[in-house]
Amino acid sequence: MDGTVRFDFMHFMPYVHLPENHKDYKSTWVDFPNKYYDPKKGHALYQRYLSELVIADQVGFDAVVVNEHHNTAYSMMAAPNLIAAAVIPQIKNAKICVWGTPPNLEYPNRLAEEYAMLDVMSEGRLEVAFPLGTGMEYWANPINPATARDRHREAIDIILQAWTQDGPTTYYGDFYTYRYLNPWPRPYQKPYPPCYIVGTGSQETIDLAAKLGFGYSSVFVTKQRALELNQNLRRLAAEHGHHIRPEQLPVQVIAYVAETKEKAEQEAVEHLRYFFEDALRTTPTFLAPPGYLSVAELKKRAALADKLHGAFNFDNINESFFVAVGTADQVVGQLEEWGERLGTNHFNILGAIGNMPHWKVVKNLNFFGQDVIPRMRGRAAAQRRVAAE
Amino acid sequence: MTATAFPPQFKRETHTINGLNTTVLTAGSGPPLVFFHGAGIWHGVNFALPWTEKFRVIIPFHPGLGEADDDPAMTDIHDYVMHYLDLFDTLGLEKLNLVGFSLGGWLAANFAVGHGHRVERLVLVGPAGLRGKERPKGDLFLLPPEKIPAMLVSNFDVIKPFLPDNPNDLDFMGARYREGGTLARLWWEHPYDKKLPRYMHRLTMPTLLVWGDEDKLIPPAQAQIWQSFIPKADIQIFKGAGHLVLDEKREAVDAVQRFLS
Repeated sequence: MDGTVRFDFMHFMPYVHLPENHKDYKSTWVDFPNKYYDPKKGHALYQRYLSELVIADQVGFDAVVVNEHHNTAYSMMAAPNLIAAAVIPQIKNAKICVWGTPPNLEYPNRLAEEYAMLDVMSEGRLEVAFPLGTGMEYWANPINPATARDRHREAIDIILQAWTQDGPTTYYGDFYTYRYLNPWPRPYQKPYPPCYIVGTGSQETIDLAAKLGFGYSSVFVTKQRALELNQNLRRLAAEHGHHIRPEQLPVQVIAYVAETKEKAEQEAVEHLRYFFEDALRTTPTFLAPPGYLSVAELKKRAALADKLHGAFNFDNINESFFVAVGTADQVVGQLEEWGERLGTNHFNILGAIGNMPHWKVVKNLNFFGQDVIPRMRGRAAAQRRVAAE
Repeated sequence: MTATAFPPQFKRETHTINGLNTTVLTAGSGPPLVFFHGAGIWHGVNFALPWTEKFRVIIPFHPGLGEADDDPAMTDIHDYVMHYLDLFDTLGLEKLNLVGFSLGGWLAANFAVGHGHRVERLVLVGPAGLRGKERPKGDLFLLPPEKIPAMLVSNFDVIKPFLPDNPNDLDFMGARYREGGTLARLWWEHPYDKKLPRYMHRLTMPTLLVWGDEDKLIPPAQAQIWQSFIPKADIQIFKGAGHLVLDEKREAVDAVQRFLS
């Protein structure tokens, strides 16, 4: 990988064959009936989506990114480690980013084991992230949302202990007791794979990343919030004696490249609409199970007309979030501008948008591989040379 | 909101219990009557005024609900029992009549199971806490918050004055969300008490079970289940009342008073 610019390709692997009456349901998460899941169609989608991750590697992306959601048509990755295991033998160069399983929804020792397995299997190409999980996950899993943050911290503590101390060790926590914490295998990378916290920029998650010196993979944050987040994290991490490097602050960008701006919009907008209106459609109660948010955060979110879940206006989305839809030149320009402003060189590209068909995803990946990525690498290299002279 | 939820006859006292600020409403004189409120107390305590004629009525806000401070470390009904042992010591209450409604009924039953010698008479009004066949009907967490008020009563006019005019009132929404977090700590894993039936034979004090026949949250059929576990419990069911039977039916308030007198 070129050390100065990094491109990830993130896939959500949605189940896109929603029934005709799906708008009758307020949410495509949590209680959206699973009778609408057709495993034959699901099989075809898995085949296709896995191939798209492989293509991303072939065209020059530095990493592929998968994550975890439950009870939803939004994602078919209830167990992202299975997806990672399936692509490791097919992906030769790219890193495998599992960003990730909420560590409090799994036994921490088991997650330490699974991630170590993937790291060993991929010869040290794994990166992991520790999300708290959306509110929706807590309606689907038997974990208390009111104590989720404490459990999340304890689970991370156990995983890091398992990876940094020779076993067996003991752990006597509020949620977990280990008499023999001694997981086999251990990670390939030393002391452990690069780690990120995942979040939407809440103070709690920023504090945690700062304390641990982890990267921060922000999801669906507005442009303004991303800027504040990165500044805060750098400052707070420094107070803990950690220096946050640019590549630890991936910016998540929904991107689509075509021959002209008009064509790009024409090809992408309907899938953006599907993504926000249908795939992300859920209820305020599912988004915020009791105790999951602070009251201040709940009021903040309730006061904003929710731009993210179940409503779509391309101009609003474009204005608020990192969306780059246009020619390769335009997308390069936007990415460079955002990278500069946020102090990052790491772009996490959502390039398979909503119910986008395979040909568009491949077209998008190819534009990235042939134009966007080499151009940005070339310019970064030129800048490096100028700086060196 | 047009009505006064907490009438001026009630005086507010604040006590620091194990480091936690706890507000207690008191009115009247006579033998002590402690009322344990339910999971929400925004509808107030107007129903309790008639009791103040014969009793010293004491209504503490449970930690994490209403006007009490939060204590995230309280994650179990027995933390609340311990809290009330401290509070009753502070108030100098040795023996008392105990009336518990809904969540407060579950708490009252747990208090009385462990400390029955202090409870002269016990009244459980639509108590939560048992795993009935009717589950999951009574699981508050299956209801979107905006649907809960209508589930509480037979006659919506009874609680309407205590609700904000704007259904999206942020302060009201935030206050209920905060209380939801308290409840989640208590019963997210199990919205019932697996162990309580095992110990209910210890409820040897005279006990009254009160229910509204239109209770949509905890069906009145649960009265018989409670009765089957308690050595001597009477049941009184009030027609045309929902879960908030005390707010809806003065007859229910009077029945409690007669039982305790």
